Amino acid sequence: MKYTAALMRAPLSRRATLKGMTAMAGTAAAASTLGFVGAARGDEPIKVGMISPLTGAWTVYGAAHSAGFELAVDEINEAGGILGRQVEIVVGDSRTEPRVVVEQANRLIRQERVDFLAGTFSSAERNAAGPVVEASGKVLLYPTFYEGQLQEYFPGVCNPNIYMFGPEPTQQVWPHMEYILENFGKKFFMIGSDYAWPQVTNLFTRQKLEELGGEVVGEVYIPFNTPQYESVLRDIRESGADVIFHTLTGSDTVNFRQQYAAAGMKNDFTLWTVDDEEVVTTGLGPDVSANDYVSFDYFMSIEHPNNAAFLERLRAKFGDDVLMNTVGVAMYNAAHMAALALNQAGEVSTEALRGYLGDLEFNDAPQGPVWMRALDNQLVLPSYLMKVREGWTGVSDMFEEIQNFQGVEPQNAQCDSLPLGQ
Amino acid sequence: MYALGVAIDATLITLVLALAAFGLAIIFGLIGVINMGHGAMLTAGAYITWVCQTNGVPFLLAVLVAAVAVAVIGLVLEHVLIRHFYDRPFETLLLTWAFFLITTEVIKIIFGPEFRSVTNPLPDAITIGGIHVPAYRAAVALFALALIVTSAVVLYRTSLGIKIRGLIQNRQMAALLGLNIGLTYKLVFMAGCFMAGLAGGLITPMLSIDPYIGNVYLVRSFFVVAVGGVGQLLGGTMIGSFLIGGSETIFAVVSEQAVAQTIVFALAILVLRLRPRGVLTPR
Amino acid sequence: MTTTSSAIPAGRAGRSRRLLTENAAAVAVFAILGVLPLLFGGYVIYILPQYMLYGVLAMSLALMWGYAGILSFGQAAFFALGGYTMGLVMQAIGAPEAAYLGILVAATIGAALAALVGYFLFSAGVRDTYFVIVTLALSIMVEQIAVSQSQITGGWNGMFVDRMDLAFGPLGAVSLWDDWAIYYVVLPVVALVYGVLRWQIQGPFGKILAGIRENEDRMVALGFRTPLYKTVAFAVSGAMCGLAGALYATHASFVSPSLGGVLFSTEIVVWVAIAGRQSLLAALLGGIVVASLSNYLSSVAPEYWQLFLGLLFILAIVFFRGGVAGVFAQLGRPRGGE
Repeated sequence: MKYTAALMRAPLSRRATLKGMTAMAGTAAAASTLGFVGAARGDEPIKVGMISPLTGAWTVYGAAHSAGFELAVDEINEAGGILGRQVEIVVGDSRTEPRVVVEQANRLIRQERVDFLAGTFSSAERNAAGPVVEASGKVLLYPTFYEGQLQEYFPGVCNPNIYMFGPEPTQQVWPHMEYILENFGKKFFMIGSDYAWPQVTNLFTRQKLEELGGEVVGEVYIPFNTPQYESVLRDIRESGADVIFHTLTGSDTVNFRQQYAAAGMKNDFTLWTVDDEEVVTTGLGPDVSANDYVSFDYFMSIEHPNNAAFLERLRAKFGDDVLMNTVGVAMYNAAHMAALALNQAGEVSTEALRGYLGDLEFNDAPQGPVWMRALDNQLVLPSYLMKVREGWTGVSDMFEEIQNFQGVEPQNAQCDSLPLGQ
Repeated sequence: MYALGVAIDATLITLVLALAAFGLAIIFGLIGVINMGHGAMLTAGAYITWVCQTNGVPFLLAVLVAAVAVAVIGLVLEHVLIRHFYDRPFETLLLTWAFFLITTEVIKIIFGPEFRSVTNPLPDAITIGGIHVPAYRAAVALFALALIVTSAVVLYRTSLGIKIRGLIQNRQMAALLGLNIGLTYKLVFMAGCFMAGLAGGLITPMLSIDPYIGNVYLVRSFFVVAVGGVGQLLGGTMIGSFLIGGSETIFAVVSEQAVAQTIVFALAILVLRLRPRGVLTPR
Repeated sequence: MTTTSSAIPAGRAGRSRRLLTENAAAVAVFAILGVLPLLFGGYVIYILPQYMLYGVLAMSLALMWGYAGILSFGQAAFFALGGYTMGLVMQAIGAPEAAYLGILVAATIGAALAALVGYFLFSAGVRDTYFVIVTLALSIMVEQIAVSQSQITGGWNGMFVDRMDLAFGPLGAVSLWDDWAIYYVVLPVVALVYGVLRWQIQGPFGKILAGIRENEDRMVALGFRTPLYKTVAFAVSGAMCGLAGALYATHASFVSPSLGGVLFSTEIVVWVAIAGRQSLLAALLGGIVVASLSNYLSSVAPEYWQLFLGLLFILAIVFFRGGVAGVFAQLGRPRGGE
């Protein structure tokens, strides 16, 4: 792995300049939109392809994934659409199969003639769509927290046509390391699923941990669909760890945490997970999840005026029981930011989208203002550390905020040429 | 100390896997049907337990309801489809696989794809010789042992069991003796489904309940049964479970988990090759 | 244990008539596939080569299941193996000619693994349902290895494979990035696989396989070394899957472990059961048609489509053992024939 520490955070002044620029561009766009509304009313709708895991193993994440996007498109249409044209979603079910993503991405682009794509869920699904968007010259807006970009995995990443709306490890993990180390100890035991995202996340975490004087006392990767964790739990107990750093995914995360709680280990360790958002935590129930730590860019329980307004509209559309998470909100931001970019550009095309998405700021994002880096198509996001409340009753009181950082820059993508596409 | 820990882990995993595979072993061992729907039956058992518990039914009663309900589903499946195909192993295999596909989809439509969980009735750990053992898992393991031994006693020591085994060895003879073959097959199939539902209910406190919960045990269970051998309910299931589940723990001590799994499957194929009728049969 | 006799009549006149009909139908099918790009463009032409390769997978299963009476739940394992082999060979050797080598190696490895597993098991008398379980395990193992050996395979995140060129040595190369171009490369390959397989099936080899399906013990008594024939059949089937996998990989430009998984393996069984296991053409069409319908209907009603497919699968097993092809054969048969 070639992830060397390239700690190039953009200076603060840069953000201020960007803000000014986007604000100006925004006014110009608003004016041009108004001008276009009358003339373009009879136009055909703008078609957007949404690829979500609606069936298959990760259906559980599909609901929030598609709900976020649908809500944003409703809002865009109510506000007059893009350049006066309504936006229409064309759905493709990924069936949680990269093989099917190849079929669906091609169907949406070649048959439905969508203007751009949003979605795919796992890194494998995004990678499957990579060659398709590369060949067809369409843009894919990718919503999931992921492992960062490394040239080796082009065209799945480092692809000028793929924009990342979720956090990568240095945004999700690094800001909270000091707090965890100071409060709970410096020895980490890492447990993750056996694939790229946990491995790279752990690599970054280890790097920062060692910088701060901590140490990794154990690191294990578990194959998917493992029902039993006795031996791992025993290793954890004997490792002398203070903190369990958890990157298991899917049903394995629930299996592990249930057995971890059942083994009576909750009082002896601090568990910090970077995978278990609202959907998984709901599945765990309050007894198993209480007092564990979670970090993400978004939680339903964050106290931000944007979030309050967002949740109100979300519940009005999907009912009070709707579950939202980081991925769904990323889909929401992706739709709004694409609409903003196209409105500013004054035309609908890949060039317009790419030209105006870079450096675009979205102030109404539910988690707080976010902006897209033109450098590597990566979103600058807030980062929240939450503690699961004891005896929580639902998503609104599930997490208690410990700390947050706004505008966290990601590490620069490890691609051959930056800015991407030049 | 470390060795004791590994031994306890291996024992627990073996027994829980034996429980999960037992329903399959009954059906395959006694009436020769590979129930590819076994995984879906575990899943159904888990969901029914969850529904009952969230509606205030005590856990053990909920598990019992789940087992009975899955037995009834099995009865319908057997009566409508399976009984017409007992002499065609491929057809029963494919029909039960179709049952798996359909049931998984129906479960998703009824219950949704979300992760569910039930409250663990025995949430703490007990200590054996300095080793921490999750209390619930230990209880389930003991129950599995008791269940399998009891079933073996019924099968080998009671007149009902002897009749059933006679039937399997010689259907014509059994028919001449006035045994109702159709009914016996039906009962055996139901018993297997009952065990699947029971296992599905009992594993809920340890695993996430989602539409794919049964898949985790599906392939492992097949190997348990295939390696254990036809008709070897007690020893076969135990040895098969140990080879498939317990040995994985032991391999995992010296290698990565994923490698350990692959080794175990390769080993299982080897055993199948050398003892096509199961480990306990003489060559 | 013997499998029950085939649903297809054995009368000599009926048989030759049926052969003629199938030949005519095959010519028609390939002719239609040949002119489709002239009528349609875009997505249909892009996706059909992938579905034709699924059709090859279906034929590889029909060979085993319909002709030799051996059900395999592991065809996808060889398909994935072919796909990864193609990707690795193309990565290792930069030249445009590497693609040919990739295809060749993929088919060879598919055949070799199948022969190895097949002989290992058949020679010990592992039959019927036990074989199904072993092939099921094979699928899982291939998926597992593809996930865990991530330095080689890219792990769970998958591996990119370039679209191959049609290289003519010193004369240069034709890029197959164009949908048309690759369509007309895949189609003849599929037709060739079908033709050769059908020719073999009608010859002595096919008769021996049918004999094994109907009564293996009798064949043994007649002096046939049945494990050898079964192994050859499985090796051919594995080679077909490897070949299809290699072409699929370069067409889709991406392979991932689930390509070898149990779900895909069993999907192939569903296609073949519905279309008809005892006709290569039916299997080929089954792969193409059912996959197309899955693609189309899963965007309309995802959950219910799976349910519908499951019910169709049951109907095929219970009432139409010959699948859709069997139904057509019944309809086409002169009255009072049987």
